[in-house]
Amino acid sequence: MKKALVAALVLSLFSVVAAVAADPTVRLLTDVSGVDDKSFNAAAWRGILQFYGDTLDKQSKKGSAYDVVTAQTQDMYIPNIKQVSDEKYGLIITTGFTFADALGEVAPKYPAQKYLIVDVDWVNFPNVMQATFTEHEGSYLVGVAAALKAKADGIKDPKFGFIGGIPGAVITKFEVGYAMGVLSVLPKAKIVDYYANDWAKPELAKTQAKNWYDSGVYCIFSAAGFTGSGTIAQAKEYRAAGKNVWAIGVDSDQYEDGIYDAAKTKSAVLTSMIKRVESATLYALKAVKDGTFKGGVVVFDTKSDGIAFSDKNAALGKDIVAKVNAVKKDIVSGKTKVYAKYADAKAAKAVPSDLQAKDD
Amino acid sequence: MDIKRRALVDRLASSNAAMSVLVVLLGFLVGTILVLAVGRDPANMYRAIIQVVSGFDLARGTWNARYIGEWLVASVPLILCGLSMAFAARAGLFNIGAEGQYIVGLTVAQFASFYLPSVPVFHWAAAVVLGMLAAAGWGGVVGFLKAKYAVSEVVATIMMNYIALYVSRYATQLIPGTNTYKTPSFPATARLSNSWLESVTNGSRLNTGLFLALAAVLLFWFVMEKTRTGFALRATGFNKDAARCSGINVQRSLTLSMAISGAFAGLAGCIVALGSFGYGRVLAGLDGYGFNGIAVALVGNSTAIGTLLAGLLFGMLQSAQPLMQSRQIPKEVTYIISGLVVVFISLRSGIGLLLEARSKEQAKSAARKGELRDE
Repeated sequence: MKKALVAALVLSLFSVVAAVAADPTVRLLTDVSGVDDKSFNAAAWRGILQFYGDTLDKQSKKGSAYDVVTAQTQDMYIPNIKQVSDEKYGLIITTGFTFADALGEVAPKYPAQKYLIVDVDWVNFPNVMQATFTEHEGSYLVGVAAALKAKADGIKDPKFGFIGGIPGAVITKFEVGYAMGVLSVLPKAKIVDYYANDWAKPELAKTQAKNWYDSGVYCIFSAAGFTGSGTIAQAKEYRAAGKNVWAIGVDSDQYEDGIYDAAKTKSAVLTSMIKRVESATLYALKAVKDGTFKGGVVVFDTKSDGIAFSDKNAALGKDIVAKVNAVKKDIVSGKTKVYAKYADAKAAKAVPSDLQAKDD
Repeated sequence: MDIKRRALVDRLASSNAAMSVLVVLLGFLVGTILVLAVGRDPANMYRAIIQVVSGFDLARGTWNARYIGEWLVASVPLILCGLSMAFAARAGLFNIGAEGQYIVGLTVAQFASFYLPSVPVFHWAAAVVLGMLAAAGWGGVVGFLKAKYAVSEVVATIMMNYIALYVSRYATQLIPGTNTYKTPSFPATARLSNSWLESVTNGSRLNTGLFLALAAVLLFWFVMEKTRTGFALRATGFNKDAARCSGINVQRSLTLSMAISGAFAGLAGCIVALGSFGYGRVLAGLDGYGFNGIAVALVGNSTAIGTLLAGLLFGMLQSAQPLMQSRQIPKEVTYIISGLVVVFISLRSGIGLLLEARSKEQAKSAARKGELRDE
């Protein structure tokens, strides 16, 4: 009898503990592209699914524990954030800097509500966690990988291309890091760059990539959203035709997108600059669960594995992967410094002075 | 009994308003069936709609007037773009260009808020007037081309939409301090925000634009139904040649109707720019209000009051959508409902014919029965 009582007591205590550490509820707010954008929002969504032990095919807790609200127009951002704030979830996640103004207006009105915003570091409220990524570090790594590959292939006077979306501080991080990475291996290499001024015009990137590959550019890195798929398409065509040129993927591992042979063993995507947005959503959810959530900027870098490069392509070879990993260690330890701003990198003479990168 | 029923069917078939209501109900019915078909609870859909129009959250037992305010905020540009479409439609024109005219109004209002003196009331009023004038010009050009050179207004307005978008993007980025997606903040005097409306709706973004939209509805009705200009426009819409023969200046009517149509859409742009946002936007894409306005005008039968009600309906669907998503109703359901409503409206004349034919059939068979009895 006594034993049973103790057991019941222990059990009830256990259930209290379990209740305290229960998974928080979360709502993801996205722009019009939704969680099927194969990029940014999709990655944030993956992190949420992972946290609750679900997968894309099995979303058992969707609707109760987690869900997504997609805004059809920009003027819906504020009402949408207010609405989910009214509904009191454990955490509200907004992706991308286009949400920054709306969140900055709503967050102070709901001081008890916890928010996470990705890619932003200027919405400073105690209830807002801001996740930023050191894309310049990852871009440096893929630059090093591309240059090492050119060296291994014995390419004479190799040129390297960069295709950006809309110029601005975020994309500058990619371009500056990439250029620095290439030049750290091949100081005399020529860097060419092009901005499509659009995130969704793959045809522009494809035309530019064709011109560049024809003029002796060895590898092109695109940080241009959907526009960048044009680069990969052109690299696939040329590699299938026997030309030794490469594309580099961005954000997600785009190895699969670059496969160009029937046996599915060859990809035109040499490597990818991986930005793990999912690690930011996972991190914030864990913090809410543990009660360690606090406002402020959290930086995801190569050290925390928020930023990485892909070694999936066999063409890269063990040797190059090992070398790039060594560079990665140097970045983590602080031995190698990668600049995020074009002005800083130019001042240090680490990049050419004729790039189109913009710091604002 | 039969005669009564026939009269009812006749009235239904001949009354556009009744048909609109019927069609909307039909749209909701199919929407409900769809929600059931995908295994969700349609009650959640209606709870979301009730929350939008009344502010009551039935699931949580809370009341928040902000939802009503946001419903009206979403409805205002829809009503105005609906009026834009309706005004042109009454003169026999198909204005697909409300989207572009909306963008022109929005862009000019954004510019005006930075370059006009910061005098209370005058500032936003002048910005709105300039935005409307510019949009009127944007629409008027198409009307002129149609009148003078018989250029299809459908093709011209579609092209003008994209010209407006890209010119807006380019021009807005010239404002000092603008980055690739937004301008600096507007001066407070340029904003349409209205502290009284905000406070009665518990901090929604409901703004002076609401009154401007209501005034526009009144103006539409007055011009269209009570003035000679309106009569000339309607006559042109019914039969261009007959209008010309009766001494109506058709060229002027066409140009004027497109210009006024543009002004309505431009006003929508001004209200969204200065009412819903505190900064100017470098548009990344089309907002879609102009296109949705076409549906609003169709459901509203191109009348002032009809467009007002249809705008409120579409605004309700739009602002209920995020609430539905929070209640596991797929976001596509609201598109399907509004899409179905438009399809059914297009079938309206067909349904009318069907009803008429059926009632005639019944009358005939009734008559035959009577004959048989007589024998």
